[in-house]
Amino acid sequence: MRTLVFIPAWNEEASVPAVIGGVREGLPEADVLVIDDGSTDATAARARAAGALVASLPFNQGLGAALQTGYLHALREGYDCCAHLDADGQHPPAEVARLLKEIYADRADLVIGSRYRDRGRAESDDYRPTLSRRIGTGVFRFFLTLATRQRFTDTTSGMRAANRHVMALFSERYSPDFAEIESLQLAVREGLRVEELPVRMLERVGGTSFLTPLRSAFFIFKGLVVLLVGQFRPRVEAER
Amino acid sequence: MTALLAAAKNPHVNLTAQTRIVAAVLAVAFMVMILELIRRDKLQERYSVVWFVAGLGMLVGAAFPGLLTLVAEAMGVRNTNVALFSIVLLLLLGLALNFSVIMSRQAAQITRLAQEQALERAREQAAEERETGAAERETGRARS
Repeated sequence: MRTLVFIPAWNEEASVPAVIGGVREGLPEADVLVIDDGSTDATAARARAAGALVASLPFNQGLGAALQTGYLHALREGYDCCAHLDADGQHPPAEVARLLKEIYADRADLVIGSRYRDRGRAESDDYRPTLSRRIGTGVFRFFLTLATRQRFTDTTSGMRAANRHVMALFSERYSPDFAEIESLQLAVREGLRVEELPVRMLERVGGTSFLTPLRSAFFIFKGLVVLLVGQFRPRVEAER
Repeated sequence: MTALLAAAKNPHVNLTAQTRIVAAVLAVAFMVMILELIRRDKLQERYSVVWFVAGLGMLVGAAFPGLLTLVAEAMGVRNTNVALFSIVLLLLLGLALNFSVIMSRQAAQITRLAQEQALERAREQAAEERETGAAERETGRARS
């Protein structure tokens, strides 16, 4: 099983080498690709120095476009499965390995690492979300569950593992604006098996969350519009 | 002069001969401007059609003001001017939407282009590293 682990990074020079190091240690058999989303700092150079392959987008395109670049690479280079995690050090590579195990065992096409699935374990010790994030998460959780008729707890998780069906789908159709949520809706609508797995998350090593309260409100509004429209999109059968 | 008087007598048709001439001249000038923009490669033909249609519409409206009255009556609007303004407003709204659609398509194309370039760079790096015996990887390992 050839595995690609890709890391979208935008101005994460402080944390990206450690994340790459962690992935290479925890998943020695996987290739590591950093998608540098138009960083203006030394992210690309540091990632290269840390031993990762770097795909540098010429200008900042947003998380969705960066993730799609990873799926596109995985699809074209013939990887059997792929996984991605955030560059800020929130996601322990050991947990990514657990997600990948589900894909290797063919128990799901797409596995999401959830901070919330196992409340007692995830929230109590390591991970403490802010209030605006909790509200946003709650709203999205409710509406995505409504839209997909499947229970999702962590809709915006940036830690996922996927097989080739998902690569084929996401490299063609991946919303640049609202990647995390719309992609889940899309995958379920296309009949793919999407699973959540409880994971442990850490405090970010570097960088700050991009969410301010006003931005959160706009983010939630945009997300709801996207979800509503997504319900009426024509289906394209995933190549299975 | 007689036309002016006739127009003045009818309160619902406010297009005088003078405004009609001005409108016709503006419409022709507008279409000449479009042609000039195309000639200088500042405007692509495929985006000019819609503007040509708008210019022709202006010209037709100026030549046959009766048509405008007819349309106004069909819309149930007493005042022809109001009908004219609402039609123009709607057309402009449609045009603006059309541009947003074109913009979205081009944004998607730009994104794909950026992704292709990024992946090309990654492939180049992979080829280089294979050539140099993954020397960079080794230094990276030593550093970390």
